[in-house]
Parts: sequence; structure tokens; C-alpha cells
Amino acid sequence: MNKDILKALLKRFVTSLLTLILLVSFLFFLIRLSPGNPSQKYLSAEFSPELKEIVTTNFKLDQPIFEQYINFVINIFKGDFGISYGYRQPVLSVVWQFLSFTLVFAALSFLTQIISAFYLALRTIRGKGKSFDTVVLYLSLIVYAIPAFVLGLSLIYIFSVQLKVFPSSGLHSLDFESNLFFEKIADYFFHLFLPLITLSLAGIALFYKYLRESLEDVYKQNFILNLRASGYDEKTILKKHVLPNAIRPLLSIAGVELGVLLGGALITEVIFSLPGMGRLMMDSIFARDYPLVVGCALIAGLLMIASNFLADIIKMKIDKRLIKGLMS
Amino acid sequence: MLCEQYFLLSTNDVGSAIQLLDLNLFDVLLSITLFIFLPVTLFLFRKKFNWLSMTINFSSMTILFLLLAFIFAPIITDENPEFQKDLSVTKLLAPFSSITVLHLKGKEKSNTSLSDKFLALKNETVKQSYNENIIFVDNIKLTSDKIIFLQNEKVGELDLDLIQLKDGEPVLTKRFFIFGTDEFGRNIFTRLVYGVRISILVGIGSVVVSLLIGLTLGFLAGIRGGIIDIILSRLTELFLAFPIIYLIILIIAMFGNSLLTVIIVLGLTGWMSLFKIVKSEVLSVKNKDYITSAVMLGLPKRKILTKEILPVIMVPLIVNIIFQFSNVVLAESALSYLGLGTGDLYPSWGAMIESGQHYITKAWWMIFFPGVVLILTLFSANNLGKNLKFQTLK
Repeated sequence: MNKDILKALLKRFVTSLLTLILLVSFLFFLIRLSPGNPSQKYLSAEFSPELKEIVTTNFKLDQPIFEQYINFVINIFKGDFGISYGYRQPVLSVVWQFLSFTLVFAALSFLTQIISAFYLALRTIRGKGKSFDTVVLYLSLIVYAIPAFVLGLSLIYIFSVQLKVFPSSGLHSLDFESNLFFEKIADYFFHLFLPLITLSLAGIALFYKYLRESLEDVYKQNFILNLRASGYDEKTILKKHVLPNAIRPLLSIAGVELGVLLGGALITEVIFSLPGMGRLMMDSIFARDYPLVVGCALIAGLLMIASNFLADIIKMKIDKRLIKGLMS
Repeated sequence: MLCEQYFLLSTNDVGSAIQLLDLNLFDVLLSITLFIFLPVTLFLFRKKFNWLSMTINFSSMTILFLLLAFIFAPIITDENPEFQKDLSVTKLLAPFSSITVLHLKGKEKSNTSLSDKFLALKNETVKQSYNENIIFVDNIKLTSDKIIFLQNEKVGELDLDLIQLKDGEPVLTKRFFIFGTDEFGRNIFTRLVYGVRISILVGIGSVVVSLLIGLTLGFLAGIRGGIIDIILSRLTELFLAFPIIYLIILIIAMFGNSLLTVIIVLGLTGWMSLFKIVKSEVLSVKNKDYITSAVMLGLPKRKILTKEILPVIMVPLIVNIIFQFSNVVLAESALSYLGLGTGDLYPSWGAMIESGQHYITKAWWMIFFPGVVLILTLFSANNLGKNLKFQTLK
């Protein structure tokens, strides 16, 4: 059994690596296909021709395309993504500064989504057919169709412009440094409240839909009837028998969810001007900072591949039957 | 009228007819022609189109309205989406407000030749983004030979003989802005109606692109299998692994943004689910007897795809296409919101919301109406797809 798991893991790892190499090659071809010489793109336009010549040899652009490709791949795997000329720092370290915020933000949103979806699904399945159930059902349909930027701007209009309860942008207030520790946390919470709702609401609707369906399916099964007839109380049935069975479809979308979160985070960060990777990417596009744009996209892809890998491992841990499925 | 005149002109003087034909004129001509012929065709062939007897619900109504707005935009509104005049009066007007219009006398021209006549008619029918013969005013005052008008604290005056008069009184009309105006005094309703074009154009265009890619690759992977299947599946995984919006933004940043790039990029990044469906369906019907017999009969691969496999997978394909359409509309508006949109051929809802963001404290309607239309569109498309799925499951 253990050998099987190890084998499955190894296979999964190799496919992830393959995807990664494909991703890097894809990026390379994208860069080469796009109009303009990389030396123009990676350097300011005000260079004299002689300097450009030097750059071309330094970038090894005069070598055949295959060697350029090999160099590109080797550099990426060494962690050398080039130098951002907006920040005058290596791309990796710039992205790193902004990535931490996006990751924390996405994780917070993920937690919010899971908890609220669970709460709502359990509430509604208990009072099935009642008015609260129908309201939540229709609301989830509508909420799922609201684009993040419309939602975010509406929230800003209601809570920041009209009611003046929450701030509309930024991560902390101006007098942030002078605050005590708890005040700092409260300040963060205050500033992140609206962005969190913006990012999480669509995900809550989606998770709710899946959870609700799978919970209903599990409750219909005969073994639940049997447990009830045997006199187990509802709480034990829910905790020990319903939830473990209902959680599986959730896991299969959780791997893809990070991509949705990253995409949503990009727009949310732009709306609320938060210092995350998405906004870094947008800013660097408008500043024509191409190394940074490519770096951001690459890191995002890397994160996705890693999270898919992790989600599969967790799935394997929960459901042993999946090992065979993943092996094939 | 316009059609008739244009037809006359084109029979007499083909050169000038072609010279006068620009996008806007073509648009108007086409809409008028369709406006006449579409109901007639639908009536004549009503027995052939069985979708005409579909039950109507909210979502299909919304989609129908969008399609109508897509085709008949010049008939629904009588303004150019870029029309702006007298900014100080017309900017940031609230919904349901109206403004007094003062009409000036146009320059008199002798309209003798056919093309001159047509040109006059064209200027009347095809709305330009600028009209020098009207002035938006807040208030007017008449003196003996002059008219004094007030434009938001700015006072101007004109000779009476420049103005269209009726019984000694200047001709005043009201212009009504149902959804208000934006920061340049442009009518939001008109811009919304024309914005449908961008959304539907991008939606249909990129769905067609992804359909072509997904269908071909899925069919290939399903029929051939082996190494092609493995490579294509990895490629699908790669595209699924990438947070799609980062990929789209990266490509658009690299290649520049225009309507065509947006359509192609959204099409190139949306074929994965179609590929998966086609591949799995092809695999499931591949070993059925009727496919084997078709292969035995020596039908070419293309015929097998169109005649034998496509009809079977039609319904899941259509459901997927509808969902894909709503995804694309959302992605387009998000891109326009981020400033990587479709250029300025027509206004885009996302770009309208983006410009409204700067006036959020003063003009909520600049975000509200495009937002509501966008939500309705996405909701209806999602609902339509879901209903279709349910019907087929039954």
C-alpha cells in the first residue's frame, strides 16, 4: 500500500514537473513571438545602438534560438527571472515582497468561503424548503453572476461613500505606526473587510452550491436511514458520517479554486489599491516593465501547479481509492 | 427613405455611393433592412424554426433583448454613443433628467444633385458625434434682437436670426436622459445599447475560436489516442493550471490590445472544457457499432465528425458554449475595467464602469446601470445554460 502511494506521488510529481517545463517553454515562445526584439523590450528605448549591441551579446540574443531557449529554462530554474527596471531589483525579490500579501489575502478569503458556505449549507439543509432556504438559493444564483469589480465598487459606494464605515482603499491608516499591537490588527481588519467580501462572495455561492448538493445526496442514502433507525443522534451522524462523504466534491474544486482566487485577487487589489501581486502586475504592464509582467505570470502559474499537486495529495490522503485513479 | 435614396444614388453614381459608405452608414442601412426583413422571414418560416415556440422566461427574454439591441442599436437610440456637446450643462446628469435644447439654423445649402440630397438626408439620419446646430442650455432670456442663454453660470448670447424661430419664439425642445450622462455629457443609455455590440461580438467571436480549437483537438485526441492524446492532455492541464486572467493579461500586454486580440486571446484560453467534453464523448461513442460501420464504409474523418459524432454531443456542447459565452463576457468586461480592453470602436460596459469609478462620490448611476446590465446578462446566460442542462437530464 505504502509503495503504491509513493509510486502515485512520484508519478504526480513528474507530471507536475512536465507541466512546469511546458509552462516555461510556452512563456519563452510567447516572449519571442511578441512583436519587438527582447533587447528593446527589456531595456529602455533611449539606448544608443552600440549599447544595444552590447546588450544583445550579453543577453546571448545572437546565439541560435534553441540555445536561447535552453538558457531561458536554466535561468528560470536557477531563480533568475531578470531585473525589473522599474524597481531596479531582481524580479524574484520584487514579486516576493508583494506575493506574501496576496497569499495571506487569498488564504483568508478561502477560509471565509469555506466557513460561510458550511454554515449556510448546514443551516439551509436543516430547514429545507423553508423561506430562508429559498432566499439563500436564489441569492446564491444572483451573487454568483456579479462580477468582482461591480460588487467591489457597490460595496465602496455603500460602505465608504455613503455610510463612511469602512475605508475604501489601502492596507492601513496613516497613523498606523503609532498604534498598539491590537489596534494594528483592528486597523488591518477594518481595511480588509470590504476586499474580503468582494473576493469571497462568489466563492461562497459556488461552494454553497456544491456542498448543498452533496449534503443532500448523502442524506438520501440508505446508511443514513439505517443510522437514524439505530438511534444515533443527528450530531453524530452529521459529524462522523455525512461530512466526510460530502466533503469530497469540495476538494476536487479546491485545487482549481486557487486560480480563481488569484484572478479575483488581481481585480480586488486593483479596486481597493492593495499591495498585492495582481496590482503589481497591472502596474508593471502600464509601466512597460516586461520582466516583471512575465515574472508575475510565471509565479502565478507556479503557484497553481503547486496547489494542484497539494490538492491531489490531500485527496489521496482522504480517499485511498483515488490512488488508483491517479495512477492511470 | 434613406435606403431608397441610397439605392437611387448607387444606380446613378456608383463611385460616390461607395465613397459615402462608411461604417456608421452601413450600420444604419443594415439595421433598417433587417428591421423590415427579419420579421417577414421569421413569419414566413415560422414552421421551420421550432425554437420560436420555446417557452419564454426571464433569462431568454434578457438574451433576446440583448440580441435585438445588438442588431438594431441605431434604431433603438437616435444618438451617436460618442455624442457630446456643451459639457458644462450636460455632464454628470442624474437619471431621468432632461435638458432644454436650443436649435440653430443650419447653413442653407442648395440641394439639387442626387448626392447632395442624399448627403443631407444622411446627416439627418446617421447620427454624428457632434452636432453644431443645437445648444444645450439651462435657461434663456429674450431681448429685442438677441437671445441670452445661461449654461451653468456661463452666459452666452446669440443673434435672433441665427436661431430657428416659430411665431417669434425660439424653438425649444427637451432632450431626455433616462440613465443620466457620464463625465463627458454622453448619454449612458445610448452607450449601454452600443456596448451590447462589444460584449456579444467578443462573446460570439471567441466562443467560435475556442469551439474550433476544442472540437478539432478533442476529436483528434479521441480518435487517435496515444502520444497525441498525452501531449494534448498535458497542454490542457497547463492551460487549466494557469490562472487564466494572468495569462490573458500577459498575452495582451505582450501583443497590444485591440478588439481582435481580445477575441483571439479569450478564444485561445477557453477551449479546455470543450476539449475535455469532446474527447470524452468521442471516446465513449468510438467503439459503438454505428461508428465502426461508418469507418468500415470508408467515410472520411471529417464526415464522421460532422455526420456521426456532432449530433450526439450537440446538447452538452451547446450547454458548454453558453457557459463559455458568459465567462467570455465577464472576462471582456473585466479586461476593459482594467484598461486592457477592446479599443474605442464602441463603448464597453467594463470601461464605462471604470470611468464611473472616478466619479463614485458624485454620480452613482455611471456604475449602477452598466453594472446591472452586466449582472443581468451573466445571470441570464448562466440560467439559460442551467435550464438546458436540466431539460436534457430529464
